[in-house]
Amino acid sequence: MSPLAPAQLPPAFMPSDYGPELRPHVAALPGMTSISVGDLFSGFGPAITDGASVDRDAIRHAARAALANVDMSKLTADDSVNILASEHGFGLMGGWPYAEMVKTIREVVLERTPCRRINLRLAIYRGFKEADEVSEHFGFEEAFEGKVKGLGPFDPGVKVDTAIGPMYLVKRAFDATRFIHAYYDDPREMYFNRLLYKSFKSFCMSYARFETRSVYHSLFGNRSGSIIPRALFDSDFLQQRYAFSSVLRTSPMGVTGIDASNDLYGIDKRITASHLATYGRMQRLFAEIKDCVAVWDGGRWGYYLHSGGLIFGTLLTNHHDSFDLDVPVVAGFMQQPGAPVNFSRNKALRGIVVNQAWVGAGIPYVTMPFTSPMYIVGDEQARLWREDSTNPLLMDRATTVPTVEDGIAVAMEKGQTDKVIVFDGSYGHITCNAAMADFLKAHAAQVDEEVGTTLLPKWLAQRGLA
Amino acid sequence: MAVINYVAELDVEPCTGCNLCDIVCPSNAITMTARKAAIDPDLCIGCGRCVDRCPEDIMWMARRETPLTITVAPDEAVEAQTVALLDKAGIDLNVSVCVCTLTPASEIARAIVKGAKDLEEVSAATGMRSGCGIYCVAPALRLLEAAGADMTPPKGYRWYPLTTSLWDISEEARRRYPDAFIDEDRKVFDPDGKYRPLHEDSAR
Repeated sequence: MSPLAPAQLPPAFMPSDYGPELRPHVAALPGMTSISVGDLFSGFGPAITDGASVDRDAIRHAARAALANVDMSKLTADDSVNILASEHGFGLMGGWPYAEMVKTIREVVLERTPCRRINLRLAIYRGFKEADEVSEHFGFEEAFEGKVKGLGPFDPGVKVDTAIGPMYLVKRAFDATRFIHAYYDDPREMYFNRLLYKSFKSFCMSYARFETRSVYHSLFGNRSGSIIPRALFDSDFLQQRYAFSSVLRTSPMGVTGIDASNDLYGIDKRITASHLATYGRMQRLFAEIKDCVAVWDGGRWGYYLHSGGLIFGTLLTNHHDSFDLDVPVVAGFMQQPGAPVNFSRNKALRGIVVNQAWVGAGIPYVTMPFTSPMYIVGDEQARLWREDSTNPLLMDRATTVPTVEDGIAVAMEKGQTDKVIVFDGSYGHITCNAAMADFLKAHAAQVDEEVGTTLLPKWLAQRGLA
Repeated sequence: MAVINYVAELDVEPCTGCNLCDIVCPSNAITMTARKAAIDPDLCIGCGRCVDRCPEDIMWMARRETPLTITVAPDEAVEAQTVALLDKAGIDLNVSVCVCTLTPASEIARAIVKGAKDLEEVSAATGMRSGCGIYCVAPALRLLEAAGADMTPPKGYRWYPLTTSLWDISEEARRRYPDAFIDEDRKVFDPDGKYRPLHEDSAR
């Protein structure tokens, strides 16, 4: 076993009505440590920030440098422009890096163009109060002089004709003459998006009505679904309004920079190549784990909490290689023909302990406790889960435990594992126990070699990027 | 099958009649009378969306004394018609259309064969949309369209008639997006080649 260094605390996260009262972090428990992503993969470049302490000036400087090369001539004095931001960006490293990029875009547009009607549109997932929470926490009302509105999948829609037929977007996202796609590049649900034109996904999710989101998830496979956001972006409706894109760039180390351009396809190629090399290595390292307990310990939905820059959902599904496009189905709602529900799960995941996370609130975890025992910490949190209409069956199978220490202990015992990994929003390091740290260190070199020599060339070739 | 443990309730007096709860209700459980909302507990499927949406914070979810169990059992619809409808829509009968209640496509199809005429009636009959209310919508709309239902969207913005699926992508679109795995995924999800576009004008 390694000598145990104390674990680093994760970035602070935004309190919310959609989650339980904030609890102390698992990283502060005895027996927890942090393993540096840079120690696992020395080839990863450095980050501007991993979120633990955000140098806002550095983010602003990177944004200004990237935006300097963007043609903003479409933004005239007669125009109004919506900066479109998506909720998941505010879950990355505490949200401040993304928030600073969004604010800097506005400042640069004001400086470089005669356009003065600059609005922020906050695309949220499902809760009607999410946008107000985000706006207040990150000071957007002040930064945008009150020109801030939220939008979600249940808001009024607008019909958009595309090459694959009509689709429906949220009208409020496009109620200006122009829009700016202010994005983040977290590969996030790589088991759905497969890193196939991921930079476009907002056009069929964040900015889209629920019908469009449903078509993407439920009436296409997770490879063929990539046609929908591209068809939307390429539509006359959007191209007539599109100004440029600005994307917060990340790796498992943290924020690596900002990429801004009028050419979103070009941005996407750069992101895809970079992600396959970095997140691809982390994904395959997680796939080496043959037994473990995972702990949710963050301020957003459990699927989307990070550890070493990868969301929990990756661990849940990486018994398949999400980046290998020869694998037709990784996850998804269309599922395998003949399968009543996609029970396919990573059997290495022997238990999930929920210390803190947003309760379902629109994210179904219904099938998870069928295959991975779930332990909910505290009666109050259990009550919230029991009342969650999105997961009506979950508490029939999940177990309530009094403390997170109890939850971890019973999950390890019943799961016959000595390894614990914590999803607490961390980039640049993984919060875990000593057994997991030793395991990851022992396997990283082999993964590095396999990805570099075999998998990465294949993944790139499958996407025409070799 | 869905077991509904909660029902929406409200304090009527301060209701402003803004209608926002009605628009997000998936099962037509809310009606507006004299600019006041009224909830039909027999139709409420407990999604809680109205409570979250209410700008006056005058709605809440109450636990039902007796859970409401809703389902369309296999013997409530002619199986051959159900299977034919699913095949016409190009949806596997076993797929969980609602991933919150795990309601399979076969049950959605049975509800339509039995007589449900729109998305709200399907939701009230099966409990689909009692959870997230998002991912199940397009397959249900597609089954309704395949059954010949009136796809005129209701007043407001409850839903829009979007049913495009893998089987509807035209040859022209496939040429424009040759790396979209359309043909490859069709073989995966329809190895026997039995599914067709929903409309004649969608060239395969």
